Amino acid sequence: MDSSSRHADPALLCFESSRTRRLIIASYWAVVLLAVPLWWKSTSIERLSLPTSRVHAQRSRELSYAAEVQVQTTSAFEVQSLVKKIQDAPQLDRSALQASALNVQLGIGGNSNSTYNVVLEQGHSEAVVDGRKLRFGLGPAAMDSEKTSPAVSIETLADTLTKLLAPYATHSVTQMQTQRVMKYSPRYRLAFTLLNEDSSSGTAALSWDVQEAIQAHVGPLLEKLSDLHNFTIESQVQFHAPLAFQPRASRHGDEDVHGLSPEDLTVFINSAEWTLSSSVSNDPVIHFVLFIPSAKNSPLHILDNEGLSSNLRRTGIHLSNHGLSGLVHPSNAFLLPQWGGIVLLNPTPDPTSTLNIISRLTSSDLSSVFITFAHQLLTLLGVPGLPHNVRAVYYSDGAVQREPFTDWELDALLRRRARENIQSSTETLEAIVRLVDQIENMPVGQDVVGDVQDAIDALNDAHKSSRISPVTTLKHSARALTLASRAFFNPGMLALLYFPAEHTYAVYAPLFASVSAPLLGAILREFAAWRRARKARKCAGEQSREDDGGRKAHAAKAE
Amino acid sequence: MRWRGCWRTCFLLALHLVAASAQGEVFNEDLTLRPLRDGKLQARFSFTTLLKGATPRDPVALEQDDEAQHYTLFPLALGQILREHAVTELHLTLNAGKWNYDHWGHPDEPGVGTGAELWVWMGDTAVASVDRRWQGLRNSLAGLFCASLGHLDEQRTTSPTLTFQPEGSLPDFAHPHELRHATLPSEHVCTENLTPFLKLLPCKSLSGIASLLNPHKLFDADWHGLGVHVRYREGAGVEVRLAFQAVIDPVRYSHVGRRDWSLRSLFDHSIEKACPVARSSKVRVVLPSETSYSISPGPSDITDSVATYTVDTAEEALDVSMQWPGESNFKYPATSSVPPLTDISVHRNLKGTSQAEARLTLEITNNLPIYVSAGYLETMPWHLQFYLHTLHAQINDAQRDDLLNIISYTPPVPHSRPALLQAVLTLPPQATLHLTMDVAKPFLRYTEHPPDAQRGWDLPPAVLVPFAFGELSSINGTTAVEPPTMPSDRLKRATAQGRRPRRMYTPVLLVDLATPDFSMPYNVIILSCTLIALTFGTIFNLLTRRFVVVEVDPISVPDTPMADAAADGTPR
Repeated sequence: MDSSSRHADPALLCFESSRTRRLIIASYWAVVLLAVPLWWKSTSIERLSLPTSRVHAQRSRELSYAAEVQVQTTSAFEVQSLVKKIQDAPQLDRSALQASALNVQLGIGGNSNSTYNVVLEQGHSEAVVDGRKLRFGLGPAAMDSEKTSPAVSIETLADTLTKLLAPYATHSVTQMQTQRVMKYSPRYRLAFTLLNEDSSSGTAALSWDVQEAIQAHVGPLLEKLSDLHNFTIESQVQFHAPLAFQPRASRHGDEDVHGLSPEDLTVFINSAEWTLSSSVSNDPVIHFVLFIPSAKNSPLHILDNEGLSSNLRRTGIHLSNHGLSGLVHPSNAFLLPQWGGIVLLNPTPDPTSTLNIISRLTSSDLSSVFITFAHQLLTLLGVPGLPHNVRAVYYSDGAVQREPFTDWELDALLRRRARENIQSSTETLEAIVRLVDQIENMPVGQDVVGDVQDAIDALNDAHKSSRISPVTTLKHSARALTLASRAFFNPGMLALLYFPAEHTYAVYAPLFASVSAPLLGAILREFAAWRRARKARKCAGEQSREDDGGRKAHAAKAE
Repeated sequence: MRWRGCWRTCFLLALHLVAASAQGEVFNEDLTLRPLRDGKLQARFSFTTLLKGATPRDPVALEQDDEAQHYTLFPLALGQILREHAVTELHLTLNAGKWNYDHWGHPDEPGVGTGAELWVWMGDTAVASVDRRWQGLRNSLAGLFCASLGHLDEQRTTSPTLTFQPEGSLPDFAHPHELRHATLPSEHVCTENLTPFLKLLPCKSLSGIASLLNPHKLFDADWHGLGVHVRYREGAGVEVRLAFQAVIDPVRYSHVGRRDWSLRSLFDHSIEKACPVARSSKVRVVLPSETSYSISPGPSDITDSVATYTVDTAEEALDVSMQWPGESNFKYPATSSVPPLTDISVHRNLKGTSQAEARLTLEITNNLPIYVSAGYLETMPWHLQFYLHTLHAQINDAQRDDLLNIISYTPPVPHSRPALLQAVLTLPPQATLHLTMDVAKPFLRYTEHPPDAQRGWDLPPAVLVPFAFGELSSINGTTAVEPPTMPSDRLKRATAQGRRPRRMYTPVLLVDLATPDFSMPYNVIILSCTLIALTFGTIFNLLTRRFVVVEVDPISVPDTPMADAAADGTPR
């Protein structure tokens, strides 16, 4: 037993007690567990919660405009019954009005406060729009004091009213026409370009009085549209603008013409060679191109669809004169949907020379071109146009500048744009919510949440003001659209998309794996030792009771 | 036929003049060809559009919407950028190659520094700060010219007002004008820059002189560069000048080593059609001093040994050619026998092999027999940091620090701002001045290295402006000359005298900075993780190990409780 006296029993040292060992392991684990929240916090992505329920609530909101129509007469019509008849007429298409979110109320009286006025007149005169007033002739039969006006006129009136108030839902504005309309933007750039295909070939216009022409034909229109959009105007002249294809040559009457088939029109714009506008701002650009063909390709005309098919049928056959007389389309302008308008100008050849160079297109030369441009601009911006049986008022004295389009059309356009904006901003907001739900490691910062909230507020404002004024509604809806798309395109949301969590784990694996192995091993072993010790103690307890007698016997035996 | 053609041209010309004068926009184009003494040929295209009566936009008006812009000849894309950022004067050059001043003389376009150089003068107001507009401008120009001008950021931007004086006039705004200047020597000019450049011309490259701008030939030239210069001329208007300059080697193109050239051999084109809107369209050939050449067709005008051809009146394709019939093949002049063509010659070098420090040396030779004062400008990115106290001037190994006068020095700020050194050197006649300065090479951050880090960093050229000639030689004879007390005043005076000092660019330098092993971060992560795991495991084991005493005495009873404890699986 001298060996035990030389070596102190290690189990008796203070740091070798199992209590100390367990404390050490516990403290290691405490550090690890305490560090987990810190690690979680420092590596997690900032994802603020979006006002999801408010976004989804927007979907169920119905926009509703109010339109008050006051009916008045100049003669002794029974207004009351007339109004009732109009209201009950099936031609006052409730579903179309509903589709335009319009709530029409017909009333009687001539007070000027009401939004729209309908003036019923005697005689068969054409329906005339003057400001927000519609003058309508009910026909001579109504003059009979039978208190029954002709049903046909009432039906026409109801139909006209529907078409004026809800032009997009009812009359001839087709799907194709709506597809031409530019996407809404608070500001557009109008780029006017005079394109000479090849000015050195002998047919060219070297400059143009563009400012006067814009002033005269486009200016009033832009003024009228100022509630909807702002416009920046720019113009340039290009002297060499080659076409990317060769127009087909043919004979029309007794002259050689060059034609553009409808397929050619789709590839007419040669954006590789023509620099039509610069990229100095992000506003959408509406292009207006006045194209002057080179001497080689002039005169240049648009071919009819029928003309083309007859041409195709006749391929290989000598084209005779009379068979092709209907080949050339009377129009020399065309429109590219959501892009702009193009007018072809063939300068009238000067018989005294082979040259056909116009040094300056005066504003009178440009008048017809810019009337076309103005019309194309209206189409591109979605001005609906009047129904066929209605015309705008025209003062024969000419002192009053004719309005470019009527207030009925302007209001309808305002309502439509506001409705579209509200719809698309709602969709954008929903898309943001969906996207954030789908992609779990997409950060959502304070600016995104703020933009979303502001957009919802602007939408609420738009809904609130829709009963009062379409102009305010449009302003609020445009703001909502801008904010919603700014939130959607926030660059901060893309930051971590390309650095997934798997990469982080891969980088840290050498550390985590090698550190966690001994930690886990130690705790498992310690747990096993503790269980065994407990079992041993339990056994020892039972044993000791059993052994009490035995031990005594053993002791006695030893003695 | 001939009469009809003539009549046609006259008619055209008359029409153009009417058109041009009515519009208030004038377009002139010209091409200058200059045979050089080493057999090469310098070609300079210049296209000038003047917007009559226009003034640069006042930056105060940036708050409001701009007026509508209507241009006929002036490039709309450039005009919009100028107005958007309210730029008064702009100079952008994109060059490739090293201009050989000794053999080629001063270039027609002074901006020949390798790479991209952009400098602008802008009005400074509180409405929109100059720096913000400078950033917007270089990004817009980068988009317009497909060049990486966006890299001309504040790490490269300086304001060396003494060297880059406005070339036009500055409009009388209620606020001062500021200069911003930046160079990017590693930018290389190529076809993608020429294509947008051509689109700014009224006749593109389809008629007139511009039809000679054939990228296949131009970018094969020994030196080539394009420039865009916008300036405001008081009383005239805003002028934009698009320039292309090239030094072409006809000897290389010739099979027999002759230096004969023609437009067709140089550019693969001749001038077929005149640009219908150019008011004047001229080809000028500078005739060499020797007389053994012949030129065809006969020029319409020769004055001061410059032959002029007018493209307007050319009835058929114009193809100017020049021959040296008496010469079977061209003999290069021996470089030692011919004197340099410029007043001073400059060489700049970076010496030293260490990755931490180096020595910048500048050799300036005055080729004139009189004293010359020259402004010296060094705009250095912080990739090279000067020890200014080691800046010394030497002539024939004798210290001559009195010839050097530093006007201003802006020290660099690492990772943000370049250094700007402006000095005036006095160059004694027919002597070579050596400037030396120790420089430090800093360490870059891991992310600051460009994609091709091992190539090194291009450093922008230094600029020398000889501005005063001979005035100082009489002051003190040949002894040391006191540098002028008010050099900036002198610079201004020299400018005011009407003789515009001509800038000279030194070649660019390439500095090799210490580059890291770019896989290093991952190695570091793995290594440190391993080390941490190793240390952690050791310490943890030591702390939690249970020590037991094992009896190895064979006599003692093996089944003691201690032996049991040792076998229970505690770590060993």
